[in-house]
Amino acid sequence: MKQHIIVNSQTIDVLAVMMLMATVLHISTSRLTTCVWAYAIRSFILACASGLIAYYSGIYHIFITTGITLVIKVVIIPGFLFYIIKKVGIKKEVESYLSFTLSLLCSCGVILIAYYATEPIIRFESTFMRHCLPVSIAITLVGFFTMITRKKAITQILGLLAMEDGLFFAALSTSYGMPLIVELGVFFDILVSVIIMGIYVYRIKETFETTDTGFLRELRE
Amino acid sequence: MLISILLVIPLITAIACVFIKKHNISKYISVAGSFTLLLYNIYLSYNIYLNHSLKELNGFFYVDALSLLTAQIVSVVGFAAALYSIGYMDAELHEAEFPEKRLRWYYFLFHIFIFTMLAVCVTNNLGIMWVAIEATTLSTTFLVGFYNKKPHQEAAWKYIIICTVGITLALFGVILTYHSSKDVIGEIGHALNWTDLLAVADRFEPHTMKLAFLFIIIGYGTKAGLAPMHTWLPDAHSQAPSPISALFSGVLLNCSLYGIIRFHIISSKCLGPNYSCTLLMAFGLISVIVSIPFILVQRDYKRLFAFSSIEHIGFIALGLGFGGMYSIYGAELHTFNHAVAKSLLFFCGGNLFLKYKTREMESIKGIIRTMPVTGVILIIAVFAITGIPPFNIFVSEFIVLADAFSSGSAFVLIFTSLLIVFLVLIFIGYINNIFKMIFSEPTDNIVRGEVNKFTIAAMCFLLVFVLIISFYVPPIMREILSQISDIIRNT
Repeated sequence: MKQHIIVNSQTIDVLAVMMLMATVLHISTSRLTTCVWAYAIRSFILACASGLIAYYSGIYHIFITTGITLVIKVVIIPGFLFYIIKKVGIKKEVESYLSFTLSLLCSCGVILIAYYATEPIIRFESTFMRHCLPVSIAITLVGFFTMITRKKAITQILGLLAMEDGLFFAALSTSYGMPLIVELGVFFDILVSVIIMGIYVYRIKETFETTDTGFLRELRE
Repeated sequence: MLISILLVIPLITAIACVFIKKHNISKYISVAGSFTLLLYNIYLSYNIYLNHSLKELNGFFYVDALSLLTAQIVSVVGFAAALYSIGYMDAELHEAEFPEKRLRWYYFLFHIFIFTMLAVCVTNNLGIMWVAIEATTLSTTFLVGFYNKKPHQEAAWKYIIICTVGITLALFGVILTYHSSKDVIGEIGHALNWTDLLAVADRFEPHTMKLAFLFIIIGYGTKAGLAPMHTWLPDAHSQAPSPISALFSGVLLNCSLYGIIRFHIISSKCLGPNYSCTLLMAFGLISVIVSIPFILVQRDYKRLFAFSSIEHIGFIALGLGFGGMYSIYGAELHTFNHAVAKSLLFFCGGNLFLKYKTREMESIKGIIRTMPVTGVILIIAVFAITGIPPFNIFVSEFIVLADAFSSGSAFVLIFTSLLIVFLVLIFIGYINNIFKMIFSEPTDNIVRGEVNKFTIAAMCFLLVFVLIISFYVPPIMREILSQISDIIRNT
């Protein structure tokens, strides 16, 4: 029962909003490298928030997950994505089925939906971070939205990572993270899945000579 | 130690396989490993049969009748697939479809895949179960794209993207379950343990639990192939090598369904059975409906079998959703029956592919004359999978439908009547498609005779199970199934 812990919730709120802004930056930019930078920045803010929560709540295992976040999400995954972008030699930048302004508008709508949808749940909440749940859902949904609308394989990976970030933050803000062993397993899975997807981006580029997933249309009835 | 050894066996086999470059040696190691696993699993089953359930490492591992059945399916189909792989991969290697050194990765990933599925069955921690289900996706992506040509890469990319997104949604379900339990259990190391959660599930926060189950059924349902989240399934099943398709259809779908069932039990205790049963019924019926048109007009036999898997998973979900004692009994029996019969079908499909080098049904003719053994087994497997008496799937479908009809609820009656009509339609689609391939004049340029004796051995092994269940459900299996029925109904 950690309900009595008082965390300086305003700082956490500010960090949460900054994470949301980094996600919106990811939606609105047309340069692939900027997208990866946006991911790295969001992960860094996530690590800061998780470190603060660990400090205030005094739960030691959140420090460990913070450390792993810093290593995996801020250093290894963005580094790997930059490596893949360079190796594949992507020239055309981000392509979308929707125009950038329209996708910005849509993501605003998605954020509103997230606030509206979580309202009945957080009404019962006594936890300290009432604003964090809607923000984390919003990040998850915006990530989902990028996966649907973007054509390039790498942007789809980034959308998936955004979803995972959102859920990580949701777990952190609603229940101080999951048990340590589960968190470790989740980190491992995310890392391996990004590596496998990266390998496939490379292979698809080799055989199809593009990373545009719109060309993957052979298998159907 | 009992349960840990179960996980260690496939790991050792996997590591042994990766270091051996010669296929002549590694294939026997792979088969020996999976045979040991099969024997050990029988020994473990006997132990659990005596004690009802088994806990290990402070409750980190937990095995009861439900996990036992799923693990048993993994080891039976796993052994058959390992045996089949020898013959299939020998033939493919002979055709020089891929370099020999790639095969050691095939066997490595094959056994890692078995390991992750066993981990899903034996873990007690719902978070670790999530990790293991995600790990099944990761270990099989390279198997789907094994031949590494255009369609295989497309299938592999769709598979990893759709399944990972689905499973990420399931993670949210796990988080919400954890959150709704926290006020009751508090934050301790084993807080996500299924047994501990179940003990206090009636005091969970119901709103959060409702949302959690919804995310779980969407998330794990993606992996289980429930419609409308099934879109990856026909592609991945048709592009993977046949032994892997058999494992996908027979076992992987059951493992994800197993994840849904564990949450279904918790949610039933928290919210009453109606909520989760209705969801299971709805998704089940949609899956059966969605598969029909594709089965009727299908031209590729592996895709035909894949769509039929969607239908059967839908049927199992319906059986669980009806919620009566015998319908759950029937649904779980159906899980086993479908696993053996569908793997058998995929093995037949693999033999056809080795012989004719095509997956188009139109260009395959006269199987019964060219490959008599495969032809006969294919006829039995098709009759079994479409639910023709006296074969095993008829038995389990009959149990489920009879229980549904006797339940007396009008809602369930409508569902069941619709279901029977759909089953007839699916039968027509199957017979129409497959029998043209079996009974027609063979084309002249095909060499007669079976491809390989290992593939036939694997098929006969599974055929034994199909035939036994057709006429007689052994008492030990009956006991395990009724224990499962009690676990799911939580009585």
